Amino acid sequence: MELFEWGSNPWGQETLVRISWDLLYLAFWGGIAFILFHVVYAIVWLPKLARANGGGEAEAGGASVPARILRHTSAARFFHWVMAAAMIALLITGFFPIVGIQFPWVTIHWISGVLLTISILYHIVHATFFLDFWSIWILPADLREAWQRVRHQMGQEAGAIRKHGKYPLDHKLYHLAVTIAGLAVIGTGIVMMARIDGALWPRNPYLLSDATWGLMYVLHGFGSVLFVTLTLTHIYFAIRPEKLWITRSMIFGYVDRDRYLEHHDPQRWVVSRDSTEG
Amino acid sequence: MAVIRDMMPAFELFQPTTTDEALGLLDEYRERAWVLAGGLDSFDWLKDRVKRPAAVVDLGGVEALRAIRPAGGGLEIGAMATLREVSRSPDVRERYALLADAAEIVASPQIRNQGTLGGNLAQDTRCWYYRDGWNCYRAGGTICYADTPTAMNREHCILGASRCVAVNPSDTAPALVALDGELEIHSSGGTRVVAAEDFFVGPDVDIMRMTVLEPGDLLTAVRLPDTWAGARFYFEKSRDRQVWDFALAAVASAAKITNGTVEDIRIVVNGVAPTPLRLRASEDAVRGRQLNDEVAARAGEAAVQGVRPLNHNGFKVALLRNLVMRAVRGGEA
Amino acid sequence: MADYKLIGKPYETADLVAKATGRAKYAEDFRADGMLFAKLLVSPMPHGRVRSIDTSAAEAMPGVEAILTADDLPAADAPNETSLTNEPKYEGEPILAVAAVDETTAADAIEAIRVDMEPLPFAVDPLDSLRPGGPDARLDGNTMINRELATVKWNNVDWAAIDNGELPTDGEISEEWEVGDVEAGLAEADMVLDEVLFHQSMGHQPMETRTAMAYWQNGKCYLHVSTQSTLRTHGFAARGIGIAPEDLVLVSEYCGGGFGSKIFGFIQMNIPALLSQKAGKPVMMRITRQDEHFIGRARPGLQGRVRIGFRRDGRITAMDMFAVQDNGPYGQSGDFVVWPDMASLMYMPLSHRFRGISVYTNTPPRSPQRAPGGLQAVSMFAPLMQKAARQLDIDPLELIRINAPAGQAKIGRPDENGQQGNVTSAFVAEIADLAEQDLDWPAMRARSGRRNGSKVTGVGVALSSFNAGAWGMDGLLTIRPDGKVYIQQGIGNLGTESVFDTARVAMEVLQTDWEQAEVIWGDTSKHLPWSTVQAGSTTTWAHTRANQAAGEDAKRKLQEIAARDLGGSADDYDVADGRVFRRGARSTGLSFAQAAQRAIELGGRYDGHELPEDINAVTVGAATALAGLGLMGVAKDNYAVGGRVISHAIGIAEVEVDLETGAVELKDYRVATDVGTVINPRTLAAQLHGGGIQGFSAALAQKWVYDRRWGLQVSKRFYANRPPTFLDVPHEQPLQWAAQDKPDPFSPVGAKGVGETAEGAGSGAVLCAIADALGDGYFNRTPLMTDMILTKLENLPPAFSRLAAHV
Ligand SMILES: Cc1cc2nc3c(=O)[nH]c(=O)nc-3n(C[C@H](O)[C@H](O)[C@H](O)COP(=O)(O)OP(=O)(O)OC[C@H]3O[C@@H](n4cnc5c(N)ncnc54)[C@H](O)[C@@H]3O)c2cc1C
Repeated sequence: MELFEWGSNPWGQETLVRISWDLLYLAFWGGIAFILFHVVYAIVWLPKLARANGGGEAEAGGASVPARILRHTSAARFFHWVMAAAMIALLITGFFPIVGIQFPWVTIHWISGVLLTISILYHIVHATFFLDFWSIWILPADLREAWQRVRHQMGQEAGAIRKHGKYPLDHKLYHLAVTIAGLAVIGTGIVMMARIDGALWPRNPYLLSDATWGLMYVLHGFGSVLFVTLTLTHIYFAIRPEKLWITRSMIFGYVDRDRYLEHHDPQRWVVSRDSTEG
Repeated sequence: MAVIRDMMPAFELFQPTTTDEALGLLDEYRERAWVLAGGLDSFDWLKDRVKRPAAVVDLGGVEALRAIRPAGGGLEIGAMATLREVSRSPDVRERYALLADAAEIVASPQIRNQGTLGGNLAQDTRCWYYRDGWNCYRAGGTICYADTPTAMNREHCILGASRCVAVNPSDTAPALVALDGELEIHSSGGTRVVAAEDFFVGPDVDIMRMTVLEPGDLLTAVRLPDTWAGARFYFEKSRDRQVWDFALAAVASAAKITNGTVEDIRIVVNGVAPTPLRLRASEDAVRGRQLNDEVAARAGEAAVQGVRPLNHNGFKVALLRNLVMRAVRGGEA
Repeated sequence: MADYKLIGKPYETADLVAKATGRAKYAEDFRADGMLFAKLLVSPMPHGRVRSIDTSAAEAMPGVEAILTADDLPAADAPNETSLTNEPKYEGEPILAVAAVDETTAADAIEAIRVDMEPLPFAVDPLDSLRPGGPDARLDGNTMINRELATVKWNNVDWAAIDNGELPTDGEISEEWEVGDVEAGLAEADMVLDEVLFHQSMGHQPMETRTAMAYWQNGKCYLHVSTQSTLRTHGFAARGIGIAPEDLVLVSEYCGGGFGSKIFGFIQMNIPALLSQKAGKPVMMRITRQDEHFIGRARPGLQGRVRIGFRRDGRITAMDMFAVQDNGPYGQSGDFVVWPDMASLMYMPLSHRFRGISVYTNTPPRSPQRAPGGLQAVSMFAPLMQKAARQLDIDPLELIRINAPAGQAKIGRPDENGQQGNVTSAFVAEIADLAEQDLDWPAMRARSGRRNGSKVTGVGVALSSFNAGAWGMDGLLTIRPDGKVYIQQGIGNLGTESVFDTARVAMEVLQTDWEQAEVIWGDTSKHLPWSTVQAGSTTTWAHTRANQAAGEDAKRKLQEIAARDLGGSADDYDVADGRVFRRGARSTGLSFAQAAQRAIELGGRYDGHELPEDINAVTVGAATALAGLGLMGVAKDNYAVGGRVISHAIGIAEVEVDLETGAVELKDYRVATDVGTVINPRTLAAQLHGGGIQGFSAALAQKWVYDRRWGLQVSKRFYANRPPTFLDVPHEQPLQWAAQDKPDPFSPVGAKGVGETAEGAGSGAVLCAIADALGDGYFNRTPLMTDMILTKLENLPPAFSRLAAHV
């Protein structure tokens, strides 16, 4: 298996062209393997753990908590679905031709890219100024707790485990990965627009040196194949029965009180009465 | 590794005598095989060592692929019929003079004696960057060298480009599309028949191919339906010299005219887009109308709607417009 | 015209059947036992330095027998080139060569070699290099001034104007001369044309790519090579191989075209010889068409500006010429110097100035190409002459007459004393009459402007003059006891047939049938006399004279022998029909066979044991080797030198231009010429029309194209260069021609060369015809192709600057 695809420039000098498409298959099958692994884990391991922990009980004292809690504002949901649609379009237009399903993809691809970029910009502004910005980022406390959980799962004494705030660590990790991959594909994608016709500026493939272009394509490639894995696993978790309440919240906005109390620490994800309103 | 050109590397040469034998070989070698017809496109690639097949399947000995014979009211021309045979065939001349004229104007007499109709239709583009082995989109790279600020693209696209701006160079292709021809393609998996218009593939769909032919496929015959037999034909090719030269632009049209009114018409151009291009807007501007210079001029104008000339080929816009106008006007090319 | 026995009569040349039947052996047709094949590894970039070469993988391949690199060759003095280099200065320049058992293996070996190269700055357009801060094609400069390499930048020039397609004339130049006062001449003119001009660079593209095969035997190198000249290639080849001339045998009986690119063979012909030395086996090197594009030489392009002043009566008062020459990376091309010389003769301006500079570029090396500088002059100025004729309302043929050179007209650059040289003869007014009367220019002209649907007819006329002779060579022949006359020819057999045509002069002197002659040519082991190069249209003039001298020498000796044996004085005897005989008593005499036998018996000067003092050392060697074989005629051409030898041609052309498609169809072309005495009408016609055809393609099609970002040529395929082809030429009826056929007064035979003169007549006439068809279609740029014509007809913005090179 190759990591990169090399070519030569017109002077016969070796240049980096893009990532090797072997990585696409790796990303795909890696995602599938992870899912299979997780399915087994979920069947074999999770019930054991649940039994050992006596099941995830809803904590008492949630009387002040409303029956429905707003998890995602309509604006946030709108962003998520626009982004998801753009991402699916990008993945299909980007990868189907590579695996042999051919159709005119370039225009849809770059328009989807522009849509994705706009939605992400919107998200950045929205999340920074209108949402609880820090709730999605991994903080030192998350790492400490993660270590605690690992020890706990391995049956060691780990002390009392706190429940999550608004987003558990796996969500935060996923978000981080999406952020990195997303920035990579968007940043490079914007520059790559210089190479295609149909854009608003004159086409200029000589904007950057061969080597820099190679890097652009490689970053774009890495980001995109990472998205293959991320998208697969994301969809997988979204349709897992025990996670459906989260998926529902991305559609309808709300989680119910029981779920809230079962999975979250009300002190870390403080909900007020008015957060029940959309 | 150093590059050397103009010296054919070694490969396995197969010379089957039947279509089945050829198909068997193509199936066995798949993308490592190269179909060899007259060789006038093939040998360039092989000699320049840009394409490196492991096996070359020479169709020269497959007699069955050379026949020109009436079929179902129309005509069937074997893929291996030479361009000269096509242009001199009385059957083609009498009923499908458009194709005869197109075949007659390809390259040079020597090339027409050797080049085949199948090869002419399936030939690769002549973009000089691509053919010289530059690692462009069409070669699997990530750039079109023919559309850059310094690119020399006098011979390239003004319509229908998508990343790659190379044009289809075939003279017979637009004639075949104008005649609403069909192509018969065999592979070990079976036979399919493709309309000429659908045979050619643009870079928007597949930037590394010119036609729907896939590894393992063999183009066996071209079929001309009787729909356009004996229609009023017009073929004209613009080129820099009278011989040995590809079209800067070419137009092929077939028209049915009654009492000066255009009942139906097909206008197809080549050399201006990645595939032979049927100009529906121009056809619509003419269909049902009384033929006159104004209608012809309008068809010409319709042809160049949406053109995107490159740095060096703005003249092709005027050329295309005028060729289409002349095709509608009719007369001697 | 004198009443000749052979001269002026068509005949069958000695090589005709061999060529027509394919029996003729060109360099690549030779084989030798154990012969290896060589392939070149060439530069992928326009300018670079080889950092390292790793040949280990290639050397490990079975069948690879020797590798030659630049390190195996002596260096050349800048700005000259070597056949292999570690600092390639153009794409396609050879870096190393591999010899292997076959070409497939050699090519595979080349592919297995790793060359690590550092790209260096490069320039493909001379103007780019003159720009302040612009790249230089060479590390040691971008031009030559006073025979020294130098770097010139045009710092004080209006570059915005240049970018706009103007060419200011205040940039630094390296060559300058003036005759009369040009500014005054312009001031007194009634009309002044001030024009920017462009002439493309173009490859020679001979049918036979350069080829050489070499092997060694007993310390001697045997080289079969594709070369224009034979004798004059010999010394050059020996130097390249690094051996003494006597250790080299050079064989070249046939050459498939050179057009100036193989005058001395070619620089890389030492490669097979040196590889053969290394490998101990014969080595054949066949240059591929692709490599030929690069190492095959090219004509230098010119970017120019001219101001021409005309009096109302059409007389040219002043010509002020300025040019930047595209020199390629090596040597120093003379085209831009010849360019004003030819203009000075063709148009006889009352005052004349030339200023110019030749700039190195990273494009293929240049060499003379058929009418170097002359073609450029005609292609660039003939349309301007027509433009002036139009504006002055004078028939363009008449305008040629008005300014035509006559007699021993003055020509070119003045010497230190301000004196111009002169030509031996110029019968231009006479050939204008031929064009008018025999070729019917008025009828053609009457068709100007005729419409045929969207097509319009245009007609054009152009005068072309070019060098046509050298002198001072030696003639050498022997009449042997078999009765035959063996004529030794050191010039080459390039297809012009002058190797045979000029030999006929000796037979003419001897008044003997051609069938009795044997021409010896094409092999330096066959004792060839000092000869001119097979180039520059020199051979006809030079070797009609040399063979005349040798013939006269032989005749004299025949007469002396007859007098000695049969009594009387030498003058009582005449020579004809293979005999020397007493005037008035034909039966008293000796056959050539008898006389040859007698000459051998007599020895001394009769059979070559005593030789004239003034012949070249090369001829001494050849004659010494032949001494004793028969009666020897040997002499130097000591006939009077009356000046520069120039022949002239006037071409007239008719075209149809389609105003809707920009297509140009050449309908007719006719040419009238002054080449002095016609030696062989068939070969003359072939040159007139062949040259004309080459001119058509220079005018209409042939060019190369570079991508400036990479400095690489994209038009590498033969068809993309668009050299001329038969079907581009009117071929329904034979093209007409007419020759003035009056001897030049400064040569005994009076025959001048023609090959080069012919080309400009074709290109100039066609360009004028197109301009005429378009009413006012002056482009000042070649080649003039469909895109340019349509751009003008449709009033489109031009796609490139009119000064842009290699577009
Ligand atoms: C100098 C020059 C000038 C030319 N000018 C013109 C011109 O003006 N107009 C023009 O139209 N063409 C021109 N050509 C192109 C030439 O006419 C075509 O390349 C030629 O007709 C191709 O046919 P061929 O039989 O030689 O095919 P090949 O070169 O052998 O094949 C061409 C391609 O088609 C594929 N192929 C051939 N037959 C089949 C088949 N039966 N099934 C599947 N695949 C097949 C081959 O694999 C190959 O990829 C020119 C070529 C040259 C060299």
